Amino acid sequence: MSAERTGVSLVRRTMLGLQPSRSGWQIAGMSAVAVVIVGALSTLLISSTGSSPTAALHALYTGSIASQAAWTTTLLYAAPLLIVAAGSCISSRSGAFNIGQEGQVLIGALAVAAVTLKLQLAGWALLVIGICVAALAGGFWAWLSSLMYRISGVNIVVSTLLMTFVAQQLISYAVNTSWFLQEPSVAGIAPLPESKQIATGSQLRSFGSYPNLQLSVGLILALALTVAVAVTMTRTRWGFRLKMVGLNPLTARHAGVRVAALGGLALAISGAFAGIAGAVLLTSPVGNFRLQPGVSSNIGWDGLLVALVARNRPIVAVPFALLFGILRSGGNFLSSTGVPPFLVDVVKGLLVLAFVAPPALADILKRRAATRRASASGRHAPALQGAAA
Amino acid sequence: MDSSVPAIELRGITKSYGSVVACDAVDLAVHQGEIHGLLGENGAGKSTLMKVLLGLVQRDAGTILHHADPVEIDSPQAAVALGLGMVHQHFSLIEPLRVWENVILGDSGRIDRIAACTQVEEVGRRYGLPIDPMARVDQLSAGERQRVELVKCLRRDPSVLILDEPTSVLTQAESIELFSVLRRVVQQENRAVILISHKLAEITAATDHVTVLRKGAVAFHSRTAETTPQELARQMVGRDVSLRAEAAALGVLPVERTSITPAAGIDAGVPAGPAALSFHSLSVQVGGVAVLDELSLDVRAGEIVGLYGVEGNGQSTLGDVLSGLIVPTSGTIELGGVAVDASGPGALQRAGLGIVPEDRHRSGVVLDMSVAENLTCKALDDISARGFLSRRKMYAIARRLTAEFNIIAPSLDAPVRSLSGGNQQRLVVARELSANPTVLVAAQPTHGLDVGAIEDMYLRLRKVASSGVAVLLISTELEEVMALCSRIAVISSGRITGVLSTGEATAERLGMLVGGIAA
Repeated sequence: MSAERTGVSLVRRTMLGLQPSRSGWQIAGMSAVAVVIVGALSTLLISSTGSSPTAALHALYTGSIASQAAWTTTLLYAAPLLIVAAGSCISSRSGAFNIGQEGQVLIGALAVAAVTLKLQLAGWALLVIGICVAALAGGFWAWLSSLMYRISGVNIVVSTLLMTFVAQQLISYAVNTSWFLQEPSVAGIAPLPESKQIATGSQLRSFGSYPNLQLSVGLILALALTVAVAVTMTRTRWGFRLKMVGLNPLTARHAGVRVAALGGLALAISGAFAGIAGAVLLTSPVGNFRLQPGVSSNIGWDGLLVALVARNRPIVAVPFALLFGILRSGGNFLSSTGVPPFLVDVVKGLLVLAFVAPPALADILKRRAATRRASASGRHAPALQGAAA
Repeated sequence: MDSSVPAIELRGITKSYGSVVACDAVDLAVHQGEIHGLLGENGAGKSTLMKVLLGLVQRDAGTILHHADPVEIDSPQAAVALGLGMVHQHFSLIEPLRVWENVILGDSGRIDRIAACTQVEEVGRRYGLPIDPMARVDQLSAGERQRVELVKCLRRDPSVLILDEPTSVLTQAESIELFSVLRRVVQQENRAVILISHKLAEITAATDHVTVLRKGAVAFHSRTAETTPQELARQMVGRDVSLRAEAAALGVLPVERTSITPAAGIDAGVPAGPAALSFHSLSVQVGGVAVLDELSLDVRAGEIVGLYGVEGNGQSTLGDVLSGLIVPTSGTIELGGVAVDASGPGALQRAGLGIVPEDRHRSGVVLDMSVAENLTCKALDDISARGFLSRRKMYAIARRLTAEFNIIAPSLDAPVRSLSGGNQQRLVVARELSANPTVLVAAQPTHGLDVGAIEDMYLRLRKVASSGVAVLLISTELEEVMALCSRIAVISSGRITGVLSTGEATAERLGMLVGGIAA
């Protein structure tokens, strides 16, 4: 019995990073209630725009999971979302809040496009090199923020965010510059701000064929990376140190951890993951196989939200990445039926709140209960303080 | 001077927190035109008394008289209305704001920058406290910040000005300047000043009257001119008599140093042999002020050396240096005769130094990590192979240590946050000792612990020392160092003012050293 329980808790801990607790149930309950409220609000919103909520729900369903082809699209979105989220888990664990994934995704997409379009090699080799370069480029982009922090104390949240806009300008430059990545113009037609399509050989392979389910290599890569992150965070020395740095950098330093270096590395790794996500996105059908200014299509932002909702536990991010993938593919289909597309974003935002608010609320309740206990159980603590001086 | 009626008088003020009596029937009368020194160790009740006076704490008994009229001070506003102003030891300034903004903070009505600046300059001129009202506080030195606090206080025209350890962050020159300002305040404007301090030189040089508090009660009162630093030192620290009684009550009767058994010989007097831990001219400068000033000290294997002093004299900085959190500006740390480069994280720990830090929540444990993780976080090599952790090994070590050190925890997976203070402290000690250190530094190891946990800690430290580990006990508790140590080094303003064997350590000598006067 107890051995079995230990076994279960071990699985929980290693696989999810979850500690079974009373507040866990509390959070689950509150989340369920919040999701119901979001459902009701969404229904209200959709009816207020003159559409039928049931029709909208049906469209969402048809576009995302009703058919095998719909599943294919959903999973194509879920893969880069999951990769971004897994990377975010690492930087958050170290206490650095990277919110520049969108820019790092763009840099990754730029890198893979440049490699696959400029180098002359066999297709698969180009793809592998492209993904590696994308990882390095995304990692470098994020590392610049940690460098700025170390040199002049620039806040990481601010610098990662602002670097996103720099990345957008860089992409815009790349696809508007003929010697760089802009598609050569056909005589008489003004050139478009986009790159050539990458060769078929350099595109990500899929298993299965239309109209059946197609499983992209990108999804397999995403799952493998997620498991790797989960194992690294819970089972390795490096993950242990990362956790210490995130929770108490002073104790970590005392225990011999190079806090600044480790934090910088964690930030770079999260950037590298976003870079890989950009590469996976560009080399799969949902990325149109070409570099365009909007190629990232908010995958970076949404991936960050996935990590936020999963509270930085990589395995928990898997279902949420799928949920966000469903909302994306279903949302695209929904907007083709006449429902304003921004409604999908609103629903997505509400859902994030539904999952993020309960843990925060539980924390507040817990802290308040603790304060009440402390003030009720005796005035001993302030007494020591008062007498100490 | 009108010295017949005190500007403010406290009669029989008593305040207790639970079973701790912080103030026990304290009388204090402060007259206009005088600087009244309030002297006492940490925990003597100085701050509690001032909190009562300022309406921050409600007294249990006693009366407060303001120019012979009984008054109720039930809130800080009431204290301000009576003309009581205080400059706290820890500045209450908002650093990114400018001087004038800090000065008018708390006022009501429209903000008038020009008027505020003029007033700051005017007050500054009147008292010789020149300060640029447009300067940002975070760009000011500690001395300048103190000036801002003083200006803030003086512009409200207080009749009684209270200063709590005002020189703890000041340089010598700044301190001298401060006292000349205070002298002007009392002589020219007939205000009253209460100066809280533990520095004897300051009290004797700057005050007119002095009251010594000890254990919450007035131990001594005199005109400053009629007493001596020696007398004050004895009154401040003097509790030789109670020492043994107290230690016995805790069950840790001091080892009789006159009858040393051969087995206990190692912690007697000054043992021979090389120093296990030594500091050579260790200095740390923070903002131009030497927090540690050329500190040198040796601790030999098997002895417990106490580093005794009043809080805020560099002890916490020394603790941070030994924890690897601060890199010393100059000087060396040697372990077993080998100099250790303290700049790398964990370097001292690898060289065999274990430390129980002063603030365990800050740098001793990770509150949100489990008991097992906290017990093994400094021994990752022992619980991992090729980069991967072995939970089995982690739990084995954790189980052994919790049993050996009697750590009571809901489970090994419970976060350290859920443990009592005593158990958290035992956890830190267990982890540090599990690395088999040659030197153990214990900084305020019994702060905030109950009697049982204190007793446990004392026994543990003795056992550790008798097993041949050099122990440095950083403490502000005289009983503690007297009960445990064979030698006592006294720290004052970041320097060792003297090292005494326990036999030589009399209250008077310790008090003089604590007050920064070589004895």
